[in-house]
Amino acid sequence: MSRKTAVAPDPTAIGNVSSPPFVRLPDPASLFSVRSARFRQLAGTGELAPYLNFLAQLNDAQHGILADLPPAEAPDAEALARAHAFEMPPLDRNAIEGDSALEITFDRLFAAADAIDKPRAAAKALARVASADPAQRLAMARTLFTSTLPGDAIAEHIFIWAGLQVHFTGLASALDAAGVKPVADGVCPACGGAPASSMVVGWHGSHGARFCSCSLCGTLWHYVRIKCVLCGSTKGIGYQEIEGHGGFVKAETCDTCHGWSKIFYQDKAPGLDPVADDVASLGLDLLMRDGPYRRGGFAPLLAGF
Amino acid sequence: MNMELSRRQFLGAAGAGVAGTALGAFGFGDIEAAHAEAIRAFKLVNTTETRNTCPYCSVACGVIMYSKGDLKKGEQAEIIHIEGDTDHPTNRGTLCPKGAALLDFVKSETRLKYPMLRKPGSDRFERVGWDEAIGRIARLMKDDRDANFIQTNGDGVTVNRWTTAGFLAASATTNETAWETYKVVRSTGMVAFDNQARV
Ligand code: SF4
Ligand SMILES: [Zn+2]
Ligand SMILES: [Zn+2]
Repeated sequence: MSRKTAVAPDPTAIGNVSSPPFVRLPDPASLFSVRSARFRQLAGTGELAPYLNFLAQLNDAQHGILADLPPAEAPDAEALARAHAFEMPPLDRNAIEGDSALEITFDRLFAAADAIDKPRAAAKALARVASADPAQRLAMARTLFTSTLPGDAIAEHIFIWAGLQVHFTGLASALDAAGVKPVADGVCPACGGAPASSMVVGWHGSHGARFCSCSLCGTLWHYVRIKCVLCGSTKGIGYQEIEGHGGFVKAETCDTCHGWSKIFYQDKAPGLDPVADDVASLGLDLLMRDGPYRRGGFAPLLAGF
Repeated sequence: MNMELSRRQFLGAAGAGVAGTALGAFGFGDIEAAHAEAIRAFKLVNTTETRNTCPYCSVACGVIMYSKGDLKKGEQAEIIHIEGDTDHPTNRGTLCPKGAALLDFVKSETRLKYPMLRKPGSDRFERVGWDEAIGRIARLMKDDRDANFIQTNGDGVTVNRWTTAGFLAASATTNETAWETYKVVRSTGMVAFDNQARV
């Protein structure tokens, strides 16, 4: 048989057995700094540069306040056992009420964010959350926990969300990964948050596996591929990508719930970050906006698209 | 606390204006417009990822097939890549050299698509219809069995053996198919068969 087709078998695909862990908990010490570097790198190309540079600085601010925050504590054994017994995530989001560590996080983050070079609208929103009282901040956090962003206070909520990210990343990093169990499709097994996006990774030992990325605590959890991240359906899953853009970011569409979510192929583009690259691939959201699917999950930085 | 209400209170005090998107809300509305303009030149294309099973052998490794185009949306789909399925418990993302060459198998010009017959003495295969193929196979099997069936062994014990023909079933069959294959084939007396073929 002659080999005259465009086919090129890839013997490297034989490879190693992939045994992905169920979760990869976030490491706050690197999460925000790596993300910030990625935002800066992505800012090097295209019209979005001012927004990406702004977000790079917001991530720097998140990173900058980590060192002086009180260390996060894992939930006690009783709370963990109860969460486990009722198939709930180990981190209880309602526990932010009266958590002084969160107030400290907000105050320090908003102070650090003051130094960011930003448009006037952003500065005003920051001033509003900086002067908001704990009850107002709590109310905004609660709104964010429902994966909604009110159209008339998006910037304020994103600042609150940035503080929550720091807080919950710390809490998630204090968990024992072995004790984190699946909760439900489309729900973070650590904190109950919605996925921001998902990515197929090229990590050694987990290559080809897909992980969802939590929009709140940054936990990555293993999720079967070709399955709707939002509703768990495996029927009618399709993919759309921008023609000629390399195929490492796609819209995974579901004909069961009529939702779509963004999926990255980090195995093809190793520097990918599930949040930074989400913003940088805004073009996909703009094109998907004209289609029949609505974007699910929670991506505050792209609110309104 | 009613969160909708509390938000209104907060906004009422703060007097925030209405802004539709995150970029707009932070004051980057102009670059949003520029980006929307730039992206207009591009279009979306459908691609698919589909699970399947490697058909080469009874290990039945899981594969993911990537195609350009989506059949569900009334398009042609062309397979562009096949890789081991990490989520499949049998092979966990790996493939043997045969599985790794599956794209070749799919696209092979000599791939078997219809029943083909090479008549005795001929040096070529020719295409035949299914009815003809199945009729002919049944006829030849029956003749062979009639001629060679062994009912009893040397000691006169009933054995019902048909040793002059063999049978290979598909590699990726379910348990039920394999069970049925066994029942049908073994009932004829055939002893040389594999109901989960490895080739
Ligand atoms: S031929 Fe190789 S890849 Fe295919 S099922 Fe058998 S072991 Fe798996
Ligand atoms: Zn989470
Ligand atoms: Zn769905």
